Amino acid sequence: MIGLINIELYKIFRKWRTYIGFIAIAVLVSVIQVAMLVEGQRSINFMTHNLQQSFILVGNLLNGYLVSHLILNTLVIHIPFLITLVAGDLLAGEATSGTYRMLITRPVSRISIVTSKFLAGIIYTCMIIFFLAIFSLGLGLSIFGSGDLLVVQNGTIIVFSKNDVLWRFLLAYCFSSLGMGVVASLAFLFSSLVENAIGPIISTMAIIIIFIIISGINIEIFRAIKPYLFTNYMNGWRLFFDDPIDIKEIVKDSLILLGHIFLFFGSAALIFQKKDILS
Amino acid sequence: MKKIILLFTAFVSITFAQSKDPDLILKNVIQEFSTVKDYVADIKIKVDVKVLKVPETRAKIYFKQPDKIHIESEGFAMIPRKGLDFSPSSLLKDKYSAFYQKEDFVDGIKTAVVKVIPLEDNSNIILSTLWIDQTKNVIRKIESTTKTNGTFTIILSYNSSNKFPLPDSMTFQFDMSRVDLVPNEFNDRIEKKNNKKTLAGLVGKVYITYSNYIVNKGISDSIFEEKK
Repeated sequence: MIGLINIELYKIFRKWRTYIGFIAIAVLVSVIQVAMLVEGQRSINFMTHNLQQSFILVGNLLNGYLVSHLILNTLVIHIPFLITLVAGDLLAGEATSGTYRMLITRPVSRISIVTSKFLAGIIYTCMIIFFLAIFSLGLGLSIFGSGDLLVVQNGTIIVFSKNDVLWRFLLAYCFSSLGMGVVASLAFLFSSLVENAIGPIISTMAIIIIFIIISGINIEIFRAIKPYLFTNYMNGWRLFFDDPIDIKEIVKDSLILLGHIFLFFGSAALIFQKKDILS
Repeated sequence: MKKIILLFTAFVSITFAQSKDPDLILKNVIQEFSTVKDYVADIKIKVDVKVLKVPETRAKIYFKQPDKIHIESEGFAMIPRKGLDFSPSSLLKDKYSAFYQKEDFVDGIKTAVVKVIPLEDNSNIILSTLWIDQTKNVIRKIESTTKTNGTFTIILSYNSSNKFPLPDSMTFQFDMSRVDLVPNEFNDRIEKKNNKKTLAGLVGKVYITYSNYIVNKGISDSIFEEKK
């Protein structure tokens, strides 16, 4: 299986589109960091405007952790697109390039092929998040330095001591990988249905955008649907920046996301097993 | 004759020490505090406010007469704006009208209660009540009603071993339903309304503990300018 995964990773990283994600993150993170360098203090003053009327605030609030937290907040909107670029191409790409038939004539079971492709997609997803973590925290801490982190969570202002922040970020990035894993699995499922990668990429993004919009509109009927939308649980990384941490909620969100990953992958595997390969 | 002089002296000193004249009481407090030209102290800040979760922080405070204040902290620190400057000259720097109300006890210490009404139109404070310990000429408690932020209370406690009128702890209390701490943009209108309801009647408290006072050793003005 490891050999198969290595082959799939080699195929992924041989394509130029794979690097779009890393380049986009590098550009996005750099732009936000530069913008914060220029406008950051004004943003901090805006965030703490009411607080400053009653309190004198001392210390460096504009630091690498705050900027990294801000960047992580953009994750749910931007990163899924970068994930689907690769995950949507995993199976459909073989059909497009006409290598499907050749692939399954090898002495490997279909389930091994589909699993190795899926795991390679998940590894790529984790690498994207890992790159985001390293680049965002590394650049942020080197430009702005370290300091306490101010977070506004459910109408409460929480300040975390700088010694209490790094582990929260690490777990938040791990949780984000899980959320992005659902996106990769969905794109993979769509990829098993069609023979062109454009369809899975657009369909996955369309679903994510629709779900995010429905989750954002505060109407009674949408509020009833909200618990059934997986996008609702992708922001669960924010729970690591709460005090006290709601472990029950994190476990629940993680299990729901894991359930979606298994459901989408299981469906994709089933479709691939029964697929009549004609190309 | 000696007895008469002694009795007269005792009578005069008691009368002046426990004066009911509010202006004299306040003047004595200001005079007592004027013995402090400057000080540096370590402070420990603990915030107990429902919508604020801040770890206990330590900072260094620099004060120089009449009202220069500078705070240094390695980490993030939040210090109540109103309670920080407890210097009587600063509290009573604007025009005011004062009247003596009654005697009262704060933490078992007898105090004179003086009401102070600011006469300046632009003052945010409508009325301040000061509980003044006339034996030490220090303020033990301040209760101020503001135009915009409700009522806040400052309770000061003093260590008897400190020869200067500087507190060793301060508790700042404020009405949470009257103070918007979280930016409006982070709370939608409905949530904000609900927050107001849940915060009604709740009191936010900030505890500041002072230690390692260094008094009248001289502080360079550059420390205060640096902040600007």
